[in-house]
Amino acid sequence: MSLRRFMHRTRKDEDLAEEIASHLAHEQDAKIARGLPTNEARRQARLKFGNPRTTREQVWRYRSLPWIETSWRDLRFAVRSLAKTPAFTIIAVLVIAVGIGVNTAVFSVVDTVLLKPLTYPDPQSLMLLMNTSPRATFPGANIPKFNIWRQQTSIFERVAADDFGGAGMNLTGGDHPQQVQGFHVTADYFALFGAPLAAGRTFTAAEDRPNGGNVVVLSYSLWQNRFGGDPSIVGKTIQLDGQAYLVVGVIGKGFVTDLPADLWIPFQFDLNSQDMAHYFTVAARLKPGITVPQANAQLRLAADQYRRTYGNRAIGPKDSFSVVQLQEFMIGDTRMPLLVLLGAVGLVLLIACANVANLLLAKAASRKRELATRAALGAGRGQIIRQLLTESLVLSLSGGLLGLILGFAAVRLLLAVNVGDLPRLGEDGSAVTLDLNILLFTLGISIFTGIFFGLAPAISASRHNLAAALNENGNRASMGLRSGKLRSALVVGEMAMALILVIGAALLIRTFMKLEAVDPGFETHNVLTMSMSVSGARFQTTAPVAQVLRAGKDRLMAIPGVVSVGATNCLAFENGFGMVFDVLGRPKGNAPFTGDAGFYSISEGYFDAFKIPLVRGRNFTEHDDSAAPLVVMINQAMAKQYWPNGDPLKDRIQIAPGAGPAFAEGPRQVIGIVGDTHDQGLNRDASPIMFIPIAQMPDLETALNSRVAPLWWLVRSNVDPHTLVTPITAALRDASGGLPVGHVRTMDELEARNTSRQRFNMLLLTVFGGAGLLMAAIGVYGVMSYSVQQRTQELGIRMALGAQASDLWRMVIGQGMTLTLIGVAIGIGGAFWLTRFLASFLFGVKAWDPLVFIATPLLLTVVALIAVWIPARRATRVDPMAALRLE
Amino acid sequence: MVLKRPPEAGDILQGTLDMLILRTLVMGPAHGHTIAEAIERTSENALEVEQGSLYPALHRLEDRGWLSSEWGVSDNNRKAKFYRLTARGRKELNAAAGRWRKMTRAIGLILGEANE
Repeated sequence: MSLRRFMHRTRKDEDLAEEIASHLAHEQDAKIARGLPTNEARRQARLKFGNPRTTREQVWRYRSLPWIETSWRDLRFAVRSLAKTPAFTIIAVLVIAVGIGVNTAVFSVVDTVLLKPLTYPDPQSLMLLMNTSPRATFPGANIPKFNIWRQQTSIFERVAADDFGGAGMNLTGGDHPQQVQGFHVTADYFALFGAPLAAGRTFTAAEDRPNGGNVVVLSYSLWQNRFGGDPSIVGKTIQLDGQAYLVVGVIGKGFVTDLPADLWIPFQFDLNSQDMAHYFTVAARLKPGITVPQANAQLRLAADQYRRTYGNRAIGPKDSFSVVQLQEFMIGDTRMPLLVLLGAVGLVLLIACANVANLLLAKAASRKRELATRAALGAGRGQIIRQLLTESLVLSLSGGLLGLILGFAAVRLLLAVNVGDLPRLGEDGSAVTLDLNILLFTLGISIFTGIFFGLAPAISASRHNLAAALNENGNRASMGLRSGKLRSALVVGEMAMALILVIGAALLIRTFMKLEAVDPGFETHNVLTMSMSVSGARFQTTAPVAQVLRAGKDRLMAIPGVVSVGATNCLAFENGFGMVFDVLGRPKGNAPFTGDAGFYSISEGYFDAFKIPLVRGRNFTEHDDSAAPLVVMINQAMAKQYWPNGDPLKDRIQIAPGAGPAFAEGPRQVIGIVGDTHDQGLNRDASPIMFIPIAQMPDLETALNSRVAPLWWLVRSNVDPHTLVTPITAALRDASGGLPVGHVRTMDELEARNTSRQRFNMLLLTVFGGAGLLMAAIGVYGVMSYSVQQRTQELGIRMALGAQASDLWRMVIGQGMTLTLIGVAIGIGGAFWLTRFLASFLFGVKAWDPLVFIATPLLLTVVALIAVWIPARRATRVDPMAALRLE
Repeated sequence: MVLKRPPEAGDILQGTLDMLILRTLVMGPAHGHTIAEAIERTSENALEVEQGSLYPALHRLEDRGWLSSEWGVSDNNRKAKFYRLTARGRKELNAAAGRWRKMTRAIGLILGEANE
């Protein structure tokens, strides 16, 4: 079919008119030539041709698309009709905009976190190597594992290791030293992730071998911010941890890592190493055509090979290796909460739809005569439904457009306030951008919304008895019985959905209160923390680290306001390390070890700084150094689990037996037991932890530590710790010979971040619940006041017949509350069924918490009662005479 | 766009008019009035073109690219729109004429059998 047909219709019509005129002239000429007089010739010519207008109309119709024409007409009519009732239109558009706005906001987060593919090329085949045990699946690798995985060339195209720059590095050489995130990577890392180059090159294989030299690749932002985008940076040297590193390349702007990297340096693994320490992760790209199950089957064989080489201590008999898609791993456990939020906003939208449907029903009632007139003039039922649907689509699409704007403003605000610990959102949610997905989603729900709230009122409005409607007195135009029922059903539905939302919100509020009430076991208030990278050649043995600790503590204690000072390699609320251990002289049975526990290396001021109570024995002192007998402290959870009947203080434990040279040390005497702390999250039970003095760490372990973990300083003050940041930073730099500190935060801030996901969920669901409740209240108010208005006459008659004002009041309240209670009953049932999906969010509260399930319906009922009260009062004020005279 | 529906009676007649127009234009460009006259004259006045339906047909054929048109001056010294057969139109004429002959032959056969 040629599109030419539909173009330039008016011009072609004029052309045709002229053509017809020309035809008639020729016909007339022919008749004149046959001897007819001019007038008669013209008459006969016209007679022969027929009506030119018919021909033109025929061609005009042929050139038109009927449905577009009628839609355009409907649309113009809809806009005119909506403009006539501005109050209704504005309210309806706003309600829809709020409904669609919250959906757009939540969907844009879901889109970014769950749906958008990783920005690396072919992200589906990017895998993370995992350790699997019957209990858990977790990432992490040592050099022997990396070596075996690297050899699985039948399934992997490329394998690379990287760490997260945990320890940080010190970039010096300028006016101000700076702590930077330096990722250690193997040479294949950049090719694996398809990192673009802005300048120079990445590491060669030779540079990634032991003694391959000091080379570094910079990130785009570091290159811009620290080196001013120096175009000749490649080939220059920079100072890292006091050593010169040759810049070989700069990575392009678009390359993102989940934790932002400032620079990359090669791991330079000795692949023959037997070092069992796990301090990095390994990613791989599957060969084309290899599936995850195929890869996992091959990796089980690799695990057997690893077990044969390194024994059951290195990998348990039931443990193995596996891969998981990198994107899956990054999304982690955030999928369910986000889907629940999406479900919640879906309910908000449904309530908004029900409200607008109610408004439309009321509007349709007052337009009954208009519609009946149109029907009388020949409009079919389908045409009327189409017209009314066009109106609701105009409403929903305008609401959708406004909602898109609202939603985007809302999500920016929300993310600026609280990212809620969600992955993949970028800095302050910068990764959330308006894309085609979101536009399509908003357009889709706008159309769905328009049809959903428009269809029922349209069908019901078109159903009226024509004659009855035309004969009816305009004042008394009342809803048919059917649409009255429909409105009641909508209100019941709104109530039920609002109740479900509010119950969900109440459960999360209770969860949050329970979390706030948890005693973390240590005092976070007035404690300032900051990280110091004790990395580089200077800190490959323990003595210089212990020296920095002593000097730092002395300087800090001299600052007025500082009460106590501690340090640790493992900060509360951050990820921790775990170690296996044996209790000396205790039979282990078949198990390779006595057990495993969290492992904290700390300074002797740690427990004071956190006010963690000593339960038994003694605390570490300055004298527990490398020259003194080796000692360890444990927490109560560890004592309870591993010494249920015995006395730990009489025992010695061997930490990390057989874990390789880095951990080779003698047995340690247990000297003290401290209180439990919930420092891996307030919603988790205290787990067993052992503490050793940093000053007593084996040198090799310190060397390893210098690559994976920074030193965290803890400074407790009796003044607002923010006021001490400058003197503390200066004192630490002095004491350490110029090392900068980074990540300066108070423990209160860290604790707040720890509960941020719960707060995020609670905040959102509370807002949704509040919005739902408000809209449901407006809904029941609207229905009841409309009903009172429509029944003024009936009420008047009842009064005239002797009904008391209180009787009428009771009648209206009774009807409104009947609807509410039916809605509440349905809502309680729905909530019982739906709150199971909230179970994983909850802490200290059951999904069917009786308090919530009693208090929330009460709250809803009270709100509905207030909403019904107003129309009920109005009913009692009806003047019987006036009402009867209304006729 | 391929329309997969059997041609209805109207379509056959319309197609016939189309074919006649195309055939008339083989002789050279002509305007609407000449085309109508030519069809009537050539068919020995057996076919009278309903002039009202001539122009929709001309416009349809032009949109399909079988005809091209331009304004010019007729023998009577009047302004008129002249239609010209395009290469595609010529091809279509051959196809349509083939279809027509097949059909009339088939009808002839049926009628011949009925006569015996």
